[in-house]
Amino acid sequence: MDETGAPARDRFRLPRLAVLAPLATAGSFAFELVAQGASLLMPLLLADVVDGVLDGRTAPRALALLAGLLVLRVACEAAGGLADTAASTGVTARLRHRFTRHVLALGIGGLRRYPPGDLVARLAGNTSAAGHAVPALAYMALSALTTLGGLVALWLIDWRLGAVFLLGALPSTYLLRRLTRDVTDRYARYLDLLGAISGRLADALGGSRTIRASGTAGREIDRVLQPLPDLRAAGVRTWDTQRAIAWKIDTVITVFRVGVLAVAGAGVAAGRLTPGDFLAAAMYLSIALGFLDQVDNLVTLAEADANTERVTALLDEPVAAAFTGREPPAGPGSLSFHGVGLRHDERIVLDGLDLQVEAGSCVAVVGRSGSGKSSLALLAGGLLTPDEGEVRLDGVPLTRIPAERLRRDFAYAFDRPVLLGATVAEAVAYGGGGERVRDAARTASADEFVQRLPDGYDTPMSAAPLSGGETQRLGLARALAADGKVLVLDDATSGLDTVTEAQVAEALTARLAGRTRLVVAHRASTAARADLVAWLDGGRVRALGPHRRLWTEEPGYRAVFGGEADS
Amino acid sequence: MKPGTAVLLSSLRERRSPLLRLAAWSVVEATPALASGLLIAAATDAFVAGRLWAGLGQLALLLAASLVGVAATRKLFPYLTEIVEPVRDALLSAAVSGAVTSAAEDGENDASAVARLTGQVQSVRNLLFALLRTVRQILFTVLAALAGLALLAPLVAAISAVSVLLALGLFVLVLPGLARRHRGVLLAGEDVAAEAGAVLHGARDVIACGAAGRAAAEVGVKIDEEARVTRGLARVFATRHLLVFLGGQLPLVAVLAAAPWLLRDGRLSPGEVVGAVTYLSVSLEPALRGVIGLLGGWGLDLYVNLNRLGETLGSKPAAEASASPLGPLDLSVHDLTFAYGERSAPVVAGLELDLAAGGHLAIVGASGIGKSTLADLLCGLRRPRSGRVLLGGADIAGISATALRRTVALIPQEAYVFTGTLAENIGYLAPGADEAALLRSARAVGLGELVDRVGGLSTVVGSGGVELSGGERQLVALARVHASPAGIVVLDEATCLLDPAAEERAEAAFAERPGSLVVIAHRISSARRAGAVLLLDGDCAYFGTDAELAATCAPYAALTGFWDCESGVTALRSSSGR
Repeated sequence: MDETGAPARDRFRLPRLAVLAPLATAGSFAFELVAQGASLLMPLLLADVVDGVLDGRTAPRALALLAGLLVLRVACEAAGGLADTAASTGVTARLRHRFTRHVLALGIGGLRRYPPGDLVARLAGNTSAAGHAVPALAYMALSALTTLGGLVALWLIDWRLGAVFLLGALPSTYLLRRLTRDVTDRYARYLDLLGAISGRLADALGGSRTIRASGTAGREIDRVLQPLPDLRAAGVRTWDTQRAIAWKIDTVITVFRVGVLAVAGAGVAAGRLTPGDFLAAAMYLSIALGFLDQVDNLVTLAEADANTERVTALLDEPVAAAFTGREPPAGPGSLSFHGVGLRHDERIVLDGLDLQVEAGSCVAVVGRSGSGKSSLALLAGGLLTPDEGEVRLDGVPLTRIPAERLRRDFAYAFDRPVLLGATVAEAVAYGGGGERVRDAARTASADEFVQRLPDGYDTPMSAAPLSGGETQRLGLARALAADGKVLVLDDATSGLDTVTEAQVAEALTARLAGRTRLVVAHRASTAARADLVAWLDGGRVRALGPHRRLWTEEPGYRAVFGGEADS
Repeated sequence: MKPGTAVLLSSLRERRSPLLRLAAWSVVEATPALASGLLIAAATDAFVAGRLWAGLGQLALLLAASLVGVAATRKLFPYLTEIVEPVRDALLSAAVSGAVTSAAEDGENDASAVARLTGQVQSVRNLLFALLRTVRQILFTVLAALAGLALLAPLVAAISAVSVLLALGLFVLVLPGLARRHRGVLLAGEDVAAEAGAVLHGARDVIACGAAGRAAAEVGVKIDEEARVTRGLARVFATRHLLVFLGGQLPLVAVLAAAPWLLRDGRLSPGEVVGAVTYLSVSLEPALRGVIGLLGGWGLDLYVNLNRLGETLGSKPAAEASASPLGPLDLSVHDLTFAYGERSAPVVAGLELDLAAGGHLAIVGASGIGKSTLADLLCGLRRPRSGRVLLGGADIAGISATALRRTVALIPQEAYVFTGTLAENIGYLAPGADEAALLRSARAVGLGELVDRVGGLSTVVGSGGVELSGGERQLVALARVHASPAGIVVLDEATCLLDPAAEERAEAAFAERPGSLVVIAHRISSARRAGAVLLLDGDCAYFGTDAELAATCAPYAALTGFWDCESGVTALRSSSGR
């Protein structure tokens, strides 16, 4: 299913999900089939027993059969319920596993269009709705059949009963559909108002710092709740509509239920039907009336389909084929960009960029914000794939290196790292190198503050209050522990004060001598420590040279730091 | 009692009159359930005896009884509405109050809370309505069916009542375990979302660490756990089928087994047998099935949702007492130290600072160094670990919150613009200010162009109105504080989305305004304009004029771009007072 590019409208999207939990789905279908079949047979057997009783016969066999059928039905309902849950949880879990793996395989470039919150909603909410749809689908198909079976049974008892039923059914279906539309319209108005309150609340939470600083929480609550009277009025109207529907439908059902019974009674009086038939007719009528639920079922199905679509749309996003060939031999770690071009949507970020980073050297990347520094950093280790040109490690294009090897060769630290792992130690070891945690933390000047945490390195991350600078240092330690051949630092020390930054820089220089480093820098001091600075401008490297030379010779270069330097 | 349940019960108590009327109409609504078996029994006897018109007459009575039931349903609907809508109002008010006050207390912004809150309130409303409508109806049906059965065949009714009570009694025993498992499923679902959220928000880091497989496996553990507890809940909930069998179907088999003898003894007529079977199979069994299924499903959903919602409920704070702002005051900071945790490194340590009334101070430093924290401390929004912030010589900890809020105004980076007119937004902190004054402030900070473009101050901005750009929103926030009576204004990167010229204009407007100005600088040009500069650099802080710092302070030079490779870093411990 991952591979087929599903169009937006796909009839078989839901049924195909059943493949994810075939056994449970088949079980759910089979049990439901038996249970519904038993429901259909029940009135027949009951009529038989009642007629027997009324004739003065004791009919132990018919009664035993009825009791057996009841037991069979209850057993099948219970087993069917368990199979339903097994099917829905099975489908949901398989979809979620697949979703998680697929999302991570899409990579940073593939995920750009999806905000993380949206992905979480798809993973947690939409997959669950899709999973529930699988047993629901089986149930709905079978209950539609059962409804039809009820009608056929009425017809078989006496064709007049079937005819009366059909006469009443057609107008009520029409009525139902029209009324359902009314409810939907009114409900939309209600939801709009609820949305307005949500919007106001979101506004207020977004401005929480202002509200706090101006001490206006009470006024804010009044403002958020201002549409409440309108909401209530709209809510009352939705119930009014429901009420209008409910009594009309109830009246129609009542009238033609009694109508069918009258026809059946006339049959009994005429000797055409037995009292048992009369009873059976009443019960089949209830079963046949189940068609009124079918409209609801169609709405439910449409919702389930919309949920499934949000999951499959992502699973259908193509993943770049991984290179599975032979691993290239280990090299010293020289990095080179050849005519690299990159676009975000329509905007050209990098345009034919060439850059050579010698093995063991440190190159800083400098440029105004939006000049593509972070993109360049991501391209360096193959976290992004260029639209044009290629990036090579020791002369081998990154696309010809297995992904696992790439991740081992490159270690990354970011300006706003997200730390994963349960404890501080796990967070630092997240990229590998558990035995180097302490050492890496020391180099990143993180050891001292980690020691001050309640349980040192074993402190749970949730119990570690970290400032921006401390988080950065742990992110840096994580990259150091991973011990890659090439280290890419994307503004990884921006939150550190100058003293700490200088300490970290010295420690890095001492420890990583001979290691290739690509360093995105905002601060002049960071650029000054690199062997060479690549000045990015207009999607290319405008100049490459030592900081001091660029600083003195290029006024434009100075402007990158000076005129609008972020403080 | 848990807060969610408490809000529900207290608002239900206020609706006593509609509740009573609802109960009264429910009795009427149950008429058909009471009469159906009796009338069908009579009709069957008539039909069997060949008296067609007598039978049809009974059916006409059944029709009439059913229509009375329908009319009663129609009649009681407004009472349902009168109960459900006020409960929703009470819950929504409490949820909004809780969210706004807790956001205003800790300054955290959890936007995902909005969807969760309104979703939960909505669920409670719909579930409560469904329960009141359906379960109430079904319960009355059960009672009416048993009553009808008692009139028709007292013995059968006794057997059925015992079975139904037994089934319901067993259900009550199962209910707590069911509720516990229900909660477990909900929590397991939240665990999945939390773990997946951490991995997906950190997808870049996960991928860069080569830990995609590991992260997927960790999320997978939570996914499988949720599936496991969900199946556990289903296993316990499956017992309901047994209960329905016990309460609804077993009596039917018993009646049918005993029927030959009952008929022979003349205790039941053939019609009464049909009537009893109708009660049991058409009314009682589906009703019992409904009660147990819906209470175990919707009922527990309501309970769990209410309790989750209850964790976030709050009440509106007492109305802010009006206090007039204090006049322009000297601001001074003495030996100020602040740290986030007990043992974490201080963000600010031993800070000394003086700003005379009407002065202009810029605070500079790298991102993440604690500038915003210092802004909070100056505004009295955080309590220092030690040291004092003095306003006109008085410790701000001792000044009443209302007076302090009106005296010191903070404009954060994320400008707050709510859906409303420009006049409402700009006049937010200056109640009673006339439109001319608001317009003057708008023009002073550079918002005049926008006001003219959108057609005046009465234009609605924000969602549903004119959408503003980030820079325009910042200008609205600036105009708001400019129009306010605050004597000390703190701009915390409040102009970061403006271009340098617009920023300069806005800062000039505040410099000309009476009162002191503190600017957390986004660009170094802000420091050049200020009379005094405070540089935060980790444990150290440097205080002086722009020229002094540029000449003597290496970190300041590093920040402003000048970097002498030979001089290195010579940091000064402590800060020089003025």
